[in-house]
Amino acid sequence: MKLKIAVCVALAVLLQTTLRHFLHGLVFVDLPLIVVTYFALRRDVVMALVVGCVAGLATDSFSGALLGANGFSKTLIAYLIAALVTRIMLDNPLARIPVIAGAAALDATVLFLLHQIMGQRPMPPFVETMAYKLIGTTVAGTFIFYLLDRFFSDRARTRRQFAFRRRAARRLMRR
Amino acid sequence: MVTLTQREIRQRAPLWLIGLLVLNVGLMAFSAHQDGDINRPRVLQVWVQALFSPAQGAVSGVGGSLGGGLRHLGKLNHAATENETLKRRLAEMETELRAAHTARDENERLKNLLGLQEKNDYKNVPARVIARDPSEWFNTVLLNRGSSSGVQLNMPVVTPDGIVGRVIGVSPWTAQVLLLTDERAAAGAVVGQLGASNALGAVRGLGRNGLLEMRYVSGLEPVKLGDYVLTTGQDGIYPQGLNVGEVVEFREGSATQPHEIKVKPSARLNALEEVAVLLYHPPPRTPPTETLPNLDKGKK
Repeated sequence: MKLKIAVCVALAVLLQTTLRHFLHGLVFVDLPLIVVTYFALRRDVVMALVVGCVAGLATDSFSGALLGANGFSKTLIAYLIAALVTRIMLDNPLARIPVIAGAAALDATVLFLLHQIMGQRPMPPFVETMAYKLIGTTVAGTFIFYLLDRFFSDRARTRRQFAFRRRAARRLMRR
Repeated sequence: MVTLTQREIRQRAPLWLIGLLVLNVGLMAFSAHQDGDINRPRVLQVWVQALFSPAQGAVSGVGGSLGGGLRHLGKLNHAATENETLKRRLAEMETELRAAHTARDENERLKNLLGLQEKNDYKNVPARVIARDPSEWFNTVLLNRGSSSGVQLNMPVVTPDGIVGRVIGVSPWTAQVLLLTDERAAAGAVVGQLGASNALGAVRGLGRNGLLEMRYVSGLEPVKLGDYVLTTGQDGIYPQGLNVGEVVEFREGSATQPHEIKVKPSARLNALEEVAVLLYHPPPRTPPTETLPNLDKGKK
């Protein structure tokens, strides 16, 4: 499971840095943030924190941003979502939409503020960029959550286990 | 081995949070301190980049082929019209080329007369852009060539159209480039030809519309829209005479106020695919204090 999560995070960072090269609009879809939000919604706080920190630091490595800025913001977001999900039921796909939107807005705000505090000035107009990022990440996130559910949800795990048992049973019957 | 209950894990989560946040703040402070000095390499970043570079190269290659194919298909519609336009332009260019050949011959004759030597072109390392900055806030790209190919920190990166930026991080197999459109990037530049124009200044990224801002150009110097901007070679990064872009916005200054100039970069920075890293080492500079004529007197 841990390996799967690591692959998922690495894939998100890899696609985030390469896909923008072909379609500029994809810069407003924050794939690592979507992955962090997804794992934070799975109620394992410590895992969410680690995933947030690693995904953030990996993103920072490819960015002109300060090393640790994305790490800080994504760790914080992971904790807040993981804390929220213990109090509110967020298993419904519709209920997740505002969570992704909130995470995107908070991520942009925290990043912007951190750079201001550290004496660096991120370039584009803040509100415009945050709005685009919020829309892009929320729309893409809703679909990606559906895809991730197919691999990571409890129901998917049960389905895979039963598929294995069914295959084994079929083999036995053939013999 | 101690197994923790969910409740215990949840109780310890704030400690993990504080620990990780402190780690990130520490890294940020270190990184902010490092960014102040352009000669310091971004150690941690470049090694992570190097780790990811094979996968990025593969994804970039596959995506590039697919994207290129689709773009070509889309462009077929315009090909016929473009062909006609190009034929007309070719005829015009041939006339201009003849004039240019005459001017070049004349130039060579005059240079020979003056005993000037033709300057050597700089060696360069061709490279491919394999990744771009994951955020909209900053403008950096990752190249598939690093220190093993001779790339070093602060080397200029160019395309045939003009300058792109400078190298800010190098691993053995990758190099991170800060594009000229980033607000932290700048280059010494002149409007028109160096030697023929006194409109000297510095271009730096604006971030908006992919334009550059040219500062400190005296309000008394003649500048007009469409003028080309070249590097001066005085910034210690870019060699002299490289194309930067052309003036697209201009508000005239006065004797006390510099011109307000916006420059459109000649290199297509939003659609970079192949670039070249110039293996250029700027001439060493003597600190000004060492050249003062009465320095020894002061010591005595």
